[in-house]
Amino acid sequence: MNAELALAGVLGVSAAQALLVLALSRPPGLRDVVHVLCTGLVAVFASYLVYAVAQGETARIVLAQPLPNVELAFAIEPLGTLAAAVLAGLGFLHAVHTSGMVRATGQKAPARLMAFSALTTAAAMAVMFSANLFSFFVAYQALALAAFPLVAHVGDDEARNSARTFLAVLLGASIALLLPAMIWTYTLAGALEFQTGGVLAGRVDQLSANILLALFVLGIAGAAAPPMHRWLTVSFTAPYPSLVLVQGLAVLPAAGIGLLKVFAYVFGSALITAAPATQILLAVCGVTMCTAALIALSKTDMRERLAYSLWAQSLAAIVGGLLAAPAGLFAAALQIVATSCAATTLLMAVGTTAAVTGRHNTLDYPGLGRVMPWTFAGFAIACASLIGMPPFSGAWAKLWLITASASTGVIWAAGLVGAAAVLTFAHLGPLAANAFAGRAPTDAFKRPDGASILLVAPVILAAAGTLGLLVLADPLASFLSPVWTPR
Amino acid sequence: MSLYLDLARAHAPAVILGMLLVGAALALVTPNGRASWTLALAAAIAAVAMAADLSWRFLTSGAALAPDALLTVDGVSAFAAPLIAALAAFVIMAEGAALRERVARTQPYAVALHLAGAASWIGALFAQDLVGLVVGVNVGWLALTGLVATAPERGALNGALRMLTAGGAAAAFMLAGIGLITYAAGGGAVNAAASAMISSPQMATLGFVLLLAPLMLMAGAAPLHAWMGAAYGRSDATLALTMGALASLAVIARLAAVAATAPAVAEGVSVVLVSVGIASVLIGSVQAIGAVNVRRLIAYAGAAQAGCVLVAIALESPAGLAAALVQVFAWGAGAFALFAGIAASRDAALTALDGLGRRAPFAGVAITVGALSFMGAPLTIGFLGRWRLIEAGVGAGWWWATGAAIVTSLAAVFYGGRLIERIYFRRATEAAAFDLDVWRWARVPVLAAAIAAIACGLAPSLLLDLATRASMLALGLGA
Repeated sequence: MNAELALAGVLGVSAAQALLVLALSRPPGLRDVVHVLCTGLVAVFASYLVYAVAQGETARIVLAQPLPNVELAFAIEPLGTLAAAVLAGLGFLHAVHTSGMVRATGQKAPARLMAFSALTTAAAMAVMFSANLFSFFVAYQALALAAFPLVAHVGDDEARNSARTFLAVLLGASIALLLPAMIWTYTLAGALEFQTGGVLAGRVDQLSANILLALFVLGIAGAAAPPMHRWLTVSFTAPYPSLVLVQGLAVLPAAGIGLLKVFAYVFGSALITAAPATQILLAVCGVTMCTAALIALSKTDMRERLAYSLWAQSLAAIVGGLLAAPAGLFAAALQIVATSCAATTLLMAVGTTAAVTGRHNTLDYPGLGRVMPWTFAGFAIACASLIGMPPFSGAWAKLWLITASASTGVIWAAGLVGAAAVLTFAHLGPLAANAFAGRAPTDAFKRPDGASILLVAPVILAAAGTLGLLVLADPLASFLSPVWTPR
Repeated sequence: MSLYLDLARAHAPAVILGMLLVGAALALVTPNGRASWTLALAAAIAAVAMAADLSWRFLTSGAALAPDALLTVDGVSAFAAPLIAALAAFVIMAEGAALRERVARTQPYAVALHLAGAASWIGALFAQDLVGLVVGVNVGWLALTGLVATAPERGALNGALRMLTAGGAAAAFMLAGIGLITYAAGGGAVNAAASAMISSPQMATLGFVLLLAPLMLMAGAAPLHAWMGAAYGRSDATLALTMGALASLAVIARLAAVAATAPAVAEGVSVVLVSVGIASVLIGSVQAIGAVNVRRLIAYAGAAQAGCVLVAIALESPAGLAAALVQVFAWGAGAFALFAGIAASRDAALTALDGLGRRAPFAGVAITVGALSFMGAPLTIGFLGRWRLIEAGVGAGWWWATGAAIVTSLAAVFYGGRLIERIYFRRATEAAAFDLDVWRWARVPVLAAAIAAIACGLAPSLLLDLATRASMLALGLGA
C-alpha cells in the first residue's frame, strides 16, 4: 500500500459505504456488517497515513480544476492526518455502537441513518485532507449538507426546525463570510494552497488581516465561535448516533481542524498582524467559553447539557489557535483530539443509558453507575477528560493552553481557561460522582436483558482511547511540529 | 457539397434563422400534432448544430461571414446563439408531453410558436441594425405571449394579457430609443454608438436606456417583472419563458458591450444596469423566499439571478462581460433542471413536491442540482458564475458587487433548502400525483441540464475560455 492509495481509500470508502449500506439494507445483519467493516477499513487507511506522514512521505490527489490555479485536491499533512486517524478510529467504535443503538431503540430508517453517517464521515475526512482553501470550502459545504439529514432524521416538526437552523447557520455563514474571505485571499495571494508559514504571510496589510480573520473565524461556523453557535445548541434533538457524529466525530472537530488549518497555513506568521481582531476574538471566545459552561449547568436534559459543554470545549480550541504561537496551535490540536475522544465516549455512554433505561434527564442519573458499571466507568473517564483532570488526555490540552497563554503574555486567557474547567467540573463532575454514589434505582432497565455488548464495548474502548492519549503528548508534539516549522 | 457547406457557413446566421422559420412553417401546415412536433425538433437540432459550428469557428479562429451577409455576428451573439438554440431544442423536446394536453387545433401553433420565438430571439442577436434587433425581440416576445395564451391551464390568458400589455409598452419605448440613438449617433447600426461622434451624449444615453429597460422587463428583472407571476404561475410555458429571459439578457449584454465602447454613454448605461440589477437581486430574492407556487418561486429566483447578470454586465469590462455570459449559461442549466424536474409533478403548489424523491428519483436529483446551482454551491456551474462575478467586481473595485452575489446565494439557500427538504424529508400527500407521461418527455432535457450544471462546474475551462474570448471580441479588444 502506498500513501496515495490510502488517501484515496480514506476518501472513497466512506462514500462507497453509503451506497453499499443502502443497497444491502436487508437483512439488517448484513447491513451492519458492511457498515462496521467499511468504517474499520477507513480507520486502517487513516492509520497508515499517520505512518506515512511520520516517514516524511507525501501524497496528493487532484480531482478537478474548477478555476485557474485552483484545484479540487486532497493531500496529507500532519494536522489533518492526525485528526483523521483519531476520528476514523473512533468512527469504527461508533459504527459498532450505532448497530447496537438502531436495534435497541428500534430506530426508523436505519439504513438511511447509516448511509448519511458514512457520507458525513467522508465529508469530514475531505475537510481534514483538503489541500487548499477551495477544497476545504467544497468539503465543508458537503459536510453541512450530508449532516443535515442526520439532524432531521426523526422527521417531526422539532427535528425539521432544528435541521433548518443547522443548515441555515452553517451554509449561510460559509456563503456570506467564508466565500468572500476565500476570494479575498485569492485576490491578495493569487493562490489558495495551504502552505506552512501561511499563504498570506508578507502579502496582507493589517486592516485586511483583521477583517479576513474575523470573516474566517465566523464563516467557519462549524467551529461554533459566537454568535455562529446556534446550529450546535439546537442539534441536540437528533438521535444519539447522529449526535455522536455531529458533535463528537464530524462537524465540530472537522470545522475546528479546518479553522486551525486556516490559522496555520493561510495566515501563518500573518496572524500576528491581525491584532486587534485576535485579541477581540480571544476575549469573546474566552468569555463565551465560561458562559457556555455556566449555561450547561442549568440544563437538565443530558443531550442539551452536553451540547453546551462541548461548545465550551470547542471554544477552548479556538482560543488556542488565536494565541498565534506554535504552543497555542499544538494546544488547540490536542484539545480537538482529546475533546473528540471524550465527547464520543460520553455521547455513546449517554446513548446507551437512554436506550437501556429510557432516561435523558440528569436528575435520573444518580445510582445508574451501580447497575451499569462499565458504561458509567466510561462516562466518568470522559467527564474527567472534558473537565481537564490529570492524568486524562484533556488535562494535557488544558495545560498546554494555559502555558501557551502565559508564554504569549495573555494571562487573562489562561484564567478564563481555568475558570471554564471549574465550571465544567460543576456541570459534569457531580453527575459522574452521583452515578456511582447514589442509591441504585430499582426500575433502572427499560429493557430486561440490559445493555448488549454492542452498546457497552465501544464506550469502554473509546474511554481507553481517552486514557491512551495520555502517554502520547510528546510524540504528538513531535509529529505536529512540521505544521509550524517547515521540514 | 463542400461548396454549399462553405456557402452556408458564410451566411450561417441567416441559415440558422431559415432552418428555424422553415421548421416553424412546416410544423404549422402539418395536421398531425406528433408529426408537427417531430419536424420542429429536427429543425431545432439542425439549428443547434449550425449555431455551434458558427460559434466555435468565430470564437476560436475568428472566422468571418461573407461581406454581403444579411446578418452579423459578434462575441456575445456567437456565445449566446447556440445556447438559445439548444434551449429551444430542449423546450420542444420537453413539450412533447404537453402537446397531448393542448386542444388538438392548437398543437401545430404551439410547436411553430416555439420555433418562431427562438428564431426571433436569435435574429435579434445577429441583427445588423437596431431596427432589426427591436423587431426580433418583439416578435420573439409575441411568440412567447402566444404560447402562454394557448396553454391549457385556467388563468393562462391573464398572464398572456399582461405580457401583451407589457410588450406593447416595451415596443413603444424601444422605437423611441432607436430614434434617439439614430439622431444622436447619426446612424441606426447596432455599433454606431461606438464608431460615431455622438452629438448629444444625454440623448444617446436616454436612447440606450429606452432600449435596455424593455429588455430588462422581458428578462424578468425586478421591479419590471409585474407580468411574471401570472405568466409563469398559470401556464406550462415556463421553459420557453426562461429561454426568452436568457435571450433578453444576451441582447442586453450585446447592447451594453456596444455602449461600453462609447465613453459618452457608458457611465449612464452602467448606472441604470446596476440600479435595476441590485433591485432585482433584492426583490427577486425576497419574493422567491415567500413564494408558495413552485413555478413562481423559480421565476422570482430567476429575477434574482438576472440581477446578478445585470450587475456583471454593468462592469463594462471583459471580466464582467465574461462573468455575465457564464452566469447566463449557469442560469439556463439551473432553471431547466428545476422547471423540467417539477414537470414530473402535475401540481405547481410547493406541497406537490412532498416525497418526490421517492416517486421520481431522477426528477428529485435534477431539482436538487438546479437548486444547488442557484445557491452557488461548489462544483456546480452556479458557483463558477458567482466566483467570476465577485472576482470581476473586486478587480474593478466594486466590492459591493460581492454583496449582490452573496444575497442571491443566501436567499437561494432558503428557498432551495425548502425544495430539497420537501423532496426528501416529507411524505407525499394523496393529491400529489406523479405524471409519468410528462416526465417521460422531460427526462432527456432535465438530465442534460443537470449534467451540464455539474460537468461545467467540475471542468469549466472550455466554457470559461469561450466566455472570455466572446467578451473580448464583443468589446472590440480581439480574442
